[in-house]
Amino acid sequence: MRSPRISLTVASAAIVLLASCAPGSSSDGSKTKQADDKKLTYLYFTDGPDEQATRDLIDQFEKKTGAKVNLQIVPFDNLEQRLQARLSGNNAPDVARLTDITPFRADLLDLNKFQKGALGGKFLKGADAYVTGKGGELLAVPSDLTMNGPLINVDQFKKAGVPLPDPKKPWNWDEMVKDAKKVQAANKTQNAIAMDVSGHRFSTMLSQYGTDFFDKTGKKPAMDTGKATAAVKRFAELNASGTMPKDLWLQAGTKYKAANEIFLAQQTPVYLSGNWQVSAFAKGAKFSWAAAPNPCRKTCGGFPGGKFMASFKQSKHQKLAAEFIAFMNSEKSQEKLAKEANFLPTRKDLISSGVKYPVRDADMQTFLDDVKRTPQAAYGSAYSPAFGATADASVKELAKVLAGDSSPKEAVEAIRAAAQKALKDAQ
Amino acid sequence: MTSTARMAPRRTVGPAVPQSGHRKSVNRRRSVKPWNQRVAPYLFVLPNMLIFGLFVIYPAINNFNISMYDSGNGRDFTYVGGGNYQGMLSEAEFWSAARHTVVFAVFFVTLTTVVSIGLALLLNQRIKGRAFFRTVFFLPVVISPVVVGLIWGWIFERKNGLLNSLLGAAGLGQPGWLVNSTLAMAVVIFVGLWLHVGFYVLIVLAGLQGIDSTYYEAARMDGASGWQQLRLITLPLLRPTTMVVVILSLINGFQAFDYIWTLTGGGPVGGTTLMVQYIYEHAFQSPVQYGSAAAAAVVLFCAVFALTVINYLYNQRKESA
Repeated sequence: MRSPRISLTVASAAIVLLASCAPGSSSDGSKTKQADDKKLTYLYFTDGPDEQATRDLIDQFEKKTGAKVNLQIVPFDNLEQRLQARLSGNNAPDVARLTDITPFRADLLDLNKFQKGALGGKFLKGADAYVTGKGGELLAVPSDLTMNGPLINVDQFKKAGVPLPDPKKPWNWDEMVKDAKKVQAANKTQNAIAMDVSGHRFSTMLSQYGTDFFDKTGKKPAMDTGKATAAVKRFAELNASGTMPKDLWLQAGTKYKAANEIFLAQQTPVYLSGNWQVSAFAKGAKFSWAAAPNPCRKTCGGFPGGKFMASFKQSKHQKLAAEFIAFMNSEKSQEKLAKEANFLPTRKDLISSGVKYPVRDADMQTFLDDVKRTPQAAYGSAYSPAFGATADASVKELAKVLAGDSSPKEAVEAIRAAAQKALKDAQ
Repeated sequence: MTSTARMAPRRTVGPAVPQSGHRKSVNRRRSVKPWNQRVAPYLFVLPNMLIFGLFVIYPAINNFNISMYDSGNGRDFTYVGGGNYQGMLSEAEFWSAARHTVVFAVFFVTLTTVVSIGLALLLNQRIKGRAFFRTVFFLPVVISPVVVGLIWGWIFERKNGLLNSLLGAAGLGQPGWLVNSTLAMAVVIFVGLWLHVGFYVLIVLAGLQGIDSTYYEAARMDGASGWQQLRLITLPLLRPTTMVVVILSLINGFQAFDYIWTLTGGGPVGGTTLMVQYIYEHAFQSPVQYGSAAAAAVVLFCAVFALTVINYLYNQRKESA
């Protein structure tokens, strides 16, 4: 028989080990010791054409300041995990490019401490609430804006004899569906309209139907049951009739899935996506295509999104990091990035003066026109700290409707409940 | 077989058993062994134990600890006691994942065991190209599960998939393999079986080759048919191997994630979301809930551990009966 002493020793060791790994709280990092060297780390994910423009701007910054910037490119998919792990290890990068700052709000550096003059009040109004901390801190800078909107297969529209939509006079939902179906029939494509499997993309439709997940402050659930149910019902009908590819939404599970392959394979003449596809399609599409205005219902315009640049309290180069963020988001830098990567600017001065794009300028102007038509409430909703979780929940609920497991009204109720929970979790 | 018969070989092959009167002297002899000889075995296993402790034991204990805290970022923890378990057990999503995991595991383990024994019996025959067939069945094991999921996803795609193109050409329609929950679960079980069965075939083959051929010679001389040989010799003597296959495939079934993630993403409508995906989504997808994910991992561990022990005890009892 084994000695009870051995069991006792093993048990004691386990208890000691257990006690030693009790989770603790992190410090707020506000007193992080600052380093004298001029070395920055920039955690970055790339959309493709922005990488070279970013490298060029980094070169300019290095020449100007004598600093050395280590650009660390990571896949977008595990950006949040990596960043969380680095923060846990007290090894945060000096600067990061993010799509959602909500999970990191407590860790972000107040950029106002160093660059209030250069950054304060310079950016798109809608994002203010999102990037401002409880005490008025500037937690991040909106570095590029995305705008959801349709892309159409011009060749297929021409073959069907259907006139192209006028970017200055947006079509409405009924017109878009009717035209798309005509083009589908003439070209024998599998579908007429495809939408990415994304709650963010569905939010565009919701906004056009006159409602949003949250109000313009982003802090209150504001989804109108009637309007939202009408949107979900229309979405379900379009999928059930084969106008939209139902399988795409059902087969994706809980993963994000773009419908760009369907559009590039010319199996749908209308693709509901956004401006970030422009540079990829400029290179990859083997047919003539164009950006089209967002369809109107109760309101017009698209739905915003974007990326942010932020620094961290853990950074040992806070002043230099803030300077780098200010440089990368100066009027000149942002214009260069926008032009070369087909991004939309976030600076008020650039939005009002406009950007002349060397490639696909007309398409980019179509998106810029929709930026102006997009209601303020859509910005509030898009930049709500609870938007991401609610958008994910909406994908699950819409899939249930498509599978016949719930009704549009039940889906709307479930999304409302998810929005409320997400807001509570975000507080 | 009598117990005496079972004991006999032990007496003949084992070392002489010391009588009780000699025990003290044996102990004394052991105690006078040089210290380096006593310590050496532990030193040999130390590197492995350190790695095992650091990367398996410590995270496992820490996971249990984290399951009692609430954390949205892995840095700030609030003690909630059993709150995560309570919250999880009241979540419909958890029960859905648990139900799907049980369904998946039951079919996966049963099919894996039956098919691996069947294939191993075939591959144990003296047939032409035996090595080739063994390689063919083992090949999927070395393919990345992520790639396996993607490839089968293309094959089972409704409109443009390979399978439905063939079925459509034959006038058999185009079933929505990945858009119907029941069909998707069947697909996931099939792909899991295809991916892993080669590994279990190897284990069973090793077990088959360990069976003394004289048993079969004696049975043939007594006029036993092939079926009788299988039922009365092969399967009973394969029981320890079968138990290994069942336990390993059970653990494998409860851990299934990677190829399902790339094949169905847990869809449609959560129809193939198993426990590991539930844990993954809570731990790594926004909003991150480390405590809930850790609690689900503890529950999964307890379930696998309990099933393994029950299976082990059942087999022990069967053997001793």
